[in-house]
Amino acid sequence: MRAPGPSFPRVVHAEWTKLLGLRSTHVVVVATVGLVGFLTHLSSSASAGDPGFVPTRGLADVLPLAFLGVLVLGVVVGAGEHSTGTFRSTFAAVPQRIPVLLAQAVVTAAVALWTGVLSVAAAVLGILPAAASREMTPDLATAGVPGLLLGSGGFLVGAGLLGLAFGALLRRPVPALVAAVVLFLVAPVVLSIAADTGDDPVAVHDPEDPPAATAVVNTVESFTPVGAGAVLTNPGGGGLDGAPDLGAAGSALVLGCWVAVPLTVAAVRLRRRDLV
Amino acid sequence: MITAEALTKRYGTTTAVDGLSFTAHPGTVTGFLGPNGAGKSTTMRMVLGLERPTAGSVLVDGQRYADLRAPLRTVGAMLDVRSAHPGRTAFRHLLALARTHGIPRSRVDEVLGLTGLQSVAGRRVKGFSLGMGQRLGIAAALLGDPSTLVLDEPVNGLDPDGVLWIRSLVRDLAAEGRTVFLSSHLMHELALCADRVVVVGRGRLLADASVAELLERSRAAGVVRVRTTVPDRLAPALVRAGAAVAVEPDGALHVRGASLEEVGAVAGEVGATLLELTAEAGSLEAAYLELTGGSVEHRAGSR
Repeated sequence: MRAPGPSFPRVVHAEWTKLLGLRSTHVVVVATVGLVGFLTHLSSSASAGDPGFVPTRGLADVLPLAFLGVLVLGVVVGAGEHSTGTFRSTFAAVPQRIPVLLAQAVVTAAVALWTGVLSVAAAVLGILPAAASREMTPDLATAGVPGLLLGSGGFLVGAGLLGLAFGALLRRPVPALVAAVVLFLVAPVVLSIAADTGDDPVAVHDPEDPPAATAVVNTVESFTPVGAGAVLTNPGGGGLDGAPDLGAAGSALVLGCWVAVPLTVAAVRLRRRDLV
Repeated sequence: MITAEALTKRYGTTTAVDGLSFTAHPGTVTGFLGPNGAGKSTTMRMVLGLERPTAGSVLVDGQRYADLRAPLRTVGAMLDVRSAHPGRTAFRHLLALARTHGIPRSRVDEVLGLTGLQSVAGRRVKGFSLGMGQRLGIAAALLGDPSTLVLDEPVNGLDPDGVLWIRSLVRDLAAEGRTVFLSSHLMHELALCADRVVVVGRGRLLADASVAELLERSRAAGVVRVRTTVPDRLAPALVRAGAAVAVEPDGALHVRGASLEEVGAVAGEVGATLLELTAEAGSLEAAYLELTGGSVEHRAGSR
């Protein structure tokens, strides 16, 4: 006879059932993929008139935006459990608790990866009209599409898990989303604006010798999830001015650490504290 | 079977449950009675392992809940109507729970049928009425065919049909040899379906008795109204039997300290013809109020 109680594959199966049973999951995936395709199309059409137009160069322009969609998905999974009261039935069924969080990570990562693959496909579709208008055939094999697929997939998995970790930690969707957006999307912009105001506006731009403030900000940004994502979604693009070039592997590691820390804290809180 | 031993839960300086000991036995319906804020829900959450006791223990079939190999097949619980995601359908909610224990899909359909939810199984929970939410909670509790059931205020929000259904359901579950532990703040509700009642107030045990014993106590605490053709003969006889008697303006006697049966017996002994013999309504509730009187957190007009 099969074991009567919860096992990890069973908990993953249950979380998969829960995730696909929510309309928001489908909405987020469709909206993210649609938006990436549409905006890639707009930006590529806008530059189609340039003399040196290379259609595949616009592939990664909009992909970092998918970060937000998948982040929302993760937050919904992590915080929804607590804010709706579902945790009562979930953790009564799996009193060890931690397998639930890990299973949520697995299913969130799976949907994020799927969103990444579809987004790249949407981006490819997005550049086709512009390429056709110039009677060009985009050369996908040499444009690093395999690397882009891998990088985007990894970046969006990271984004989904970040959302999950923040949601599971803060247990309320709105504060979790606000915290994640401020930390990952607003703070880098504020930092770079701050660095720009310190620059000499008429100085000659030299990528080999950027102003000190810019170098510091760019270094910090390389170590943020979005900075890491910019590298992952733009394979072969190189690092920011004055910042060390972490490469795809290094950036993936940076993103992995950003995920691991809040997820571990969430796991400790889940394990130790009462669920009320 | 549920066994609580000196169970205590403190939040900072507030003590929600204070050294509570009781046992809910298989084959019986154990009522858990107390005013709001008496610690009933906290106790039930500790049974389910959602909260850890500050001291003492509560075991299900001799094990801590967290150590159970197949929790849903051992304990079925309905703690709160808000235990399902409003965006999921009833079927999905139950299916996800079933999948954690490898419970087949056919059992999900079965419990939906048992609770009368087939017709709304595909609807999202956010559109459910309170009563439908209660039924969904009970469906989830029955999913693993558990030997112990924990139900927090199961009749809350149910229509009269639903109340009757719950009463016969818990009686049937106990008759099958299961342990049923259900809370209520209504004494008369428990009197109709429970075998034993554990009464709590401010987290402390006030009484642990069979319903018959509590009824006996309530008779002693209650008032019997008796009208007779010969009050002058009956009143002294009742006083001799140890009761306190007051004469009402309409000539009826109000008797304290004697049960309905005792008043009837005394009347028979002295040959008094009775025109009316009634236990004053609410005497059961009166006994409960007397038990919990010192332990209610808020009382109307107590200033």
